[in-house]
Amino acid sequence: MSTNSIMTIENLQAKIGDKEILKGLNLQLEAGKVHAIMGPNGAGKSTLSKTLVGHYDVTVTGGDIFYKGKSIKEMEAEERALEGIFLSFQHPVEIPGVNNAYFLRSALNAKRKHEGKEELNAAEFLRLMRGHLEMLGMKSDMISRSLNEGFSGGEKKRNEILQMLILEPEVIILDEIDSGLDIDALRAVSEGINKMKDGKRSFLVITHYSRILDYIKPDYIHVLKDGRIIKTAGPELVAQLEEHGYDTIEEE
Amino acid sequence: MNMEETVARYKEDFDLFPTADEKLEYIFDLGKKHTTLCDEEKNDVTYVHGCASNAWLMGECKDGLLLLRGEGTSEMAKGMLTLLLDIFANRPVDEILGFDPAKLHEMGIVELLSPVRQQSLEAFLKKVYTYAQQCKEQGA
Repeated sequence: MSTNSIMTIENLQAKIGDKEILKGLNLQLEAGKVHAIMGPNGAGKSTLSKTLVGHYDVTVTGGDIFYKGKSIKEMEAEERALEGIFLSFQHPVEIPGVNNAYFLRSALNAKRKHEGKEELNAAEFLRLMRGHLEMLGMKSDMISRSLNEGFSGGEKKRNEILQMLILEPEVIILDEIDSGLDIDALRAVSEGINKMKDGKRSFLVITHYSRILDYIKPDYIHVLKDGRIIKTAGPELVAQLEEHGYDTIEEE
Repeated sequence: MNMEETVARYKEDFDLFPTADEKLEYIFDLGKKHTTLCDEEKNDVTYVHGCASNAWLMGECKDGLLLLRGEGTSEMAKGMLTLLLDIFANRPVDEILGFDPAKLHEMGIVELLSPVRQQSLEAFLKKVYTYAQQCKEQGA
């Protein structure tokens, strides 16, 4: 892999509660590339995504994470978000009483403020949001509803992608964004993701299934097993995994 | 963008919000960019009489333009002043005098204001047109 790395994960060890899950994980995310992480249940895929964004569930016990050359291991989750690291959750939470548009605008304006940009007022924000809603096939009333409350699985995932489009992050971690999506939702979500590809942003697509990789073409496939990346290859690895499963993959 | 185009742009903005509450909230939002006057500029001459809350409006004539700056004390006054100054400030005097203030109704918010707030709007407009008329008479 080239040295054009936006994020470098070195010998990362992390646990949730007393359970050691990441056991010396090494990975480089290259700027402008799509990295897919595949692996069996319990391999540590979601723990990896949580660790990268500074989730409170996770305790890092060793190793380091460098983002744009700087260690972020001690950085709070909100600071990482302001710096441009984004995670779409596997199971987005419902927050009754918090209007979706207010939530998104507050998040965007916090980021704009952090970047020294002027905040967007409500009308400017709604204009920005409308185009994205249309592309994602989302109903306009979803922006005035409470955050994710009563949303279907597909609507929640589309809403995660809406957040991504609005926040324009630089490292985008998608934790099983394809789970629970019908084919139309999968297409809409993939279109949103592909729209964000600009040759600079880096994507980490965590998935069980190859289906989404038909829509979001990966540059690298990494196999995560028992808390470590055991193999990295090009997209051709997907077919091998589909055919033979993870058991046949030998550690490199 | 001239005055009429600015009003049309605000109409588009307000049309984005389906409810009266959201439209009024947008006015408050505009108030975040509200400017202030220094203490010496807040005097009897600049005071907007008839406004529901304390507000001041400075008017200066320069090169055929009416330069306006203002300050309001309530959230609503700050928002409305920001909006109105965007429409009226730093415009050619003749454009202001030729502008029919009834056009402000096209934005769809005037009728949402309480009678007291509507009086405040009238008071603001009266002061603007007085300044503009003075500029015209001075030939500035």
